[in-house]
Amino acid sequence: MNAGILLIKKEFVQMARDLRMVWLPIVFILLGCTQPIITYYLPTILEALGGGQGITIDSSAISQEGGEVLASTLGSQFDQLGIIILVVALMGIIQSDKSNGMLAFILTRPVSISSYLFGKVVSNYIVVVLSVTIGFFVSYLYVNSLFTMVPFSHFLIALLLYLLWVLFLVAFTLMISAIFRSQGIIALISIIFLTGCRIIVNFIPAIDVINPASLSKHASEVLATGTFNTSVIIIVFVEFIWILVLFSITNYWISLKKIDYD
Amino acid sequence: MKLEIKNVAKAYKNKKVVNNFNMEMRTGECVGLIGPNGAGKSTLIKMIADIIKPDNGEIILNGTKITNMKKEIGYLPQYPAFYNWMTAKETLEFMGQLSCVKKAELTLRIPEILRKVGLHGAQNDKVGTFSGGMKQRLGIAQALLHKPSLVIMDEPVSALDPIGRREVLNIIQDIKKETTILFSTHILNDAEEICERFVVMKEGLKLEDTTTSQLIYRQNEDRLSLELATNDLVWIDIVKTLPYVKEVKVMGKRLEIMVENLSNNKKQLLSNAIEHNVDIMRFEIRRDTLEEIFLKMVVSE
Repeated sequence: MNAGILLIKKEFVQMARDLRMVWLPIVFILLGCTQPIITYYLPTILEALGGGQGITIDSSAISQEGGEVLASTLGSQFDQLGIIILVVALMGIIQSDKSNGMLAFILTRPVSISSYLFGKVVSNYIVVVLSVTIGFFVSYLYVNSLFTMVPFSHFLIALLLYLLWVLFLVAFTLMISAIFRSQGIIALISIIFLTGCRIIVNFIPAIDVINPASLSKHASEVLATGTFNTSVIIIVFVEFIWILVLFSITNYWISLKKIDYD
Repeated sequence: MKLEIKNVAKAYKNKKVVNNFNMEMRTGECVGLIGPNGAGKSTLIKMIADIIKPDNGEIILNGTKITNMKKEIGYLPQYPAFYNWMTAKETLEFMGQLSCVKKAELTLRIPEILRKVGLHGAQNDKVGTFSGGMKQRLGIAQALLHKPSLVIMDEPVSALDPIGRREVLNIIQDIKKETTILFSTHILNDAEEICERFVVMKEGLKLEDTTTSQLIYRQNEDRLSLELATNDLVWIDIVKTLPYVKEVKVMGKRLEIMVENLSNNKKQLLSNAIEHNVDIMRFEIRRDTLEEIFLKMVVSE
């Protein structure tokens, strides 16, 4: 595991030098404040644009609860643009090492594939977690000042559930990045699959237990209704299994030594 | 140190790239793996570096499978990959630590090894700014850093310009004294210059495993080469009738004469030439260059 820690350090230096550690949190801060601000000023915007002839805007009628707005930060911002941005940020996670021969080179050293993957996932996940947390926290602050207060415990539970879904996202992109050669294909497959999972959640609730994206829905529910459904625990458990399966596939795929392209 | 390659085979889509290859190497040897493009050299080297799994057979270093002996191997790929955002020093620190070299030892080893490959002036430059020759030298540095007992290099000089090539060859000459080296090349002069032992590969098979002197000695036929001042056709006809002459090739003023026994017949031929008052410019025993021997071996079959 020594090599794993070394690889984590290396990833951090790399992410600091290519400024990912700066732009990823900024993007999520922007995504986080978009939802509360737009929702708050929407009536004003509509009025100002003057397109509302014949429409009466009763600002009190559409005023939303803070929890609902915070929930739609997850559903409308993070789960749409957020997924795309995360996938684009992560699509080269293994593919770039593979295409320039670095992966093969690293594996000629006494480094196991699992410690290589460990280094990759831990470092990238930490940066993603920080970005999502900061962005979500900014959203939380805006919601609290523009709408009604949301209890911090709700915020925290929703965040933790959401971060587990994000871990699935990281693991899935990691696997696709290990299997395919072109960044475009990696991005396409990951984005379609992950947003597909998220969309299905709304239409086919029957498969919630096995749908990794359902955690995002449950996170929203905690915020919007303030209730915590105990069935979520099973979903969390299934989610962990999914993530382990994805890691094993990635590990197995690399161990087939399909890392050499000459 | 003992490297054993036993019955190793590898096929890609039913095309046999390496076919039942056997070889042994011991401490201190410098072996050149030569063969035309597509002979399977790179594939073999990659199997020794444990990048590719052989379909068949095994590669054993000091009695242990190569997969568990990675610390003992220094590998220089044909196109060494580096992170362009790292400096030369950081690259070596990273690579060294991956090979479980202690940090304290690295701080001593890195300046030393950078000096050896002539990069100590560029140790804080980003690898992205390096030329091909510099990258290759950095590649050699990383391959030697952890003091492996075997260094394997895949075409270490093929992609370099004459200057870079010379630099790298000199470094290999230098490190050869301390380590065991196996390297592949399709440039014969390089192999001839550096190593004593050759393994010739063609279409995945081992054609030869021999030393320079043996190879030249064995492949040579007894041949004399003469250059005449004028095209003396009369004497050439006389030579053709001599009992010990097997064959005469005439190329303008140059003659190539194959005789039965070189050491005895060369004097006879020379005195015969003097007898007939032939104006000789040059009279020599002709040996095939390594390149000619190689071409004969690889093309004929």
